[in-house]
Amino acid sequence: MAVFQEPVRSMKPLMRYRTYLRVWLGLILLTGITVSVAGRGLGGWAILIALAIAGTKSGLVLSYFMHLKSERLRIFKILIPLVIAIFLVFILLTFSDVAFRGGAK
Amino acid sequence: MDEAQGTLEEVRDDTGARLGMWFFILSELLFFGGMFILYSAYRYKNPTAFHLASMELDVALGTLNTLVLLTSSLSVAISIAAIQRGERKISIVLLIITVLLGLLFLVNKGFEWGIKIEHGLYPNSSVLLGRPKGEILFFGLYYVMTGLHGLHVLVGVAVFSVMLRFILRDKINQTRFVPLENAGLYWHLVDILWLFLFPLFYLIR
Repeated sequence: MAVFQEPVRSMKPLMRYRTYLRVWLGLILLTGITVSVAGRGLGGWAILIALAIAGTKSGLVLSYFMHLKSERLRIFKILIPLVIAIFLVFILLTFSDVAFRGGAK
Repeated sequence: MDEAQGTLEEVRDDTGARLGMWFFILSELLFFGGMFILYSAYRYKNPTAFHLASMELDVALGTLNTLVLLTSSLSVAISIAAIQRGERKISIVLLIITVLLGLLFLVNKGFEWGIKIEHGLYPNSSVLLGRPKGEILFFGLYYVMTGLHGLHVLVGVAVFSVMLRFILRDKINQTRFVPLENAGLYWHLVDILWLFLFPLFYLIR
């Protein structure tokens, strides 16, 4: 009976514990920055900065904790940015619709 | 048993399993994404009301919850790394820590909701309905989005508890750990969702 054999996972080098810790420290730091930036009354910029930082943190989680960086199959690396890009288009389209509506809120 | 017929070989497709989880994650992104888009539209239309309503949320608790989830992502990531190295005890301890952090998140959320509900601010309450429309929308979105997110946290905690049992019974070990990995992927998604929920609800100042 033929069985689908997967190449042994251990052939891919394992990420060191230290790398996870460093990424975590970066995430904590970015959280601190997000919170301190929020109180500074930067108006419209605050939300953009907050989302940019959130995006960076998500990128770190995706690349290191979710192993996208060391993923051998390219399809994963294409799929996620693609979906996020589609998302941003949705949001952009929604805003351009809502922004040009007259009438009742 | 099986010796008479020859060895029954196990069919495994680790890549397929992982791909399946990634597709599920994408579907979850679409699920929450719809609500994020709704939030965007209503916030755009009611900037002042959203600002005022956001000030009523507890930034300290929100920040604490962010740190809790980020740390739980670390602990599960290391738990998986440990089982890949055959370090079973480290893996078990870290998985327990992950579960505890998840529960801590839910406890905090419970406190937050409890305080709001005590003040009469919950969907369809007379207090809330007496507020400006934008604030009603904010709190509606707040309860739905953080509620669904909290449900996802609860599911994650339950799944990890099952994984813990698997490790203890050696169903997950150094040579087969994909279920734990996939559970980890799900958990990181829950973490990422919160990374966006937090600034959008708590940090409109």
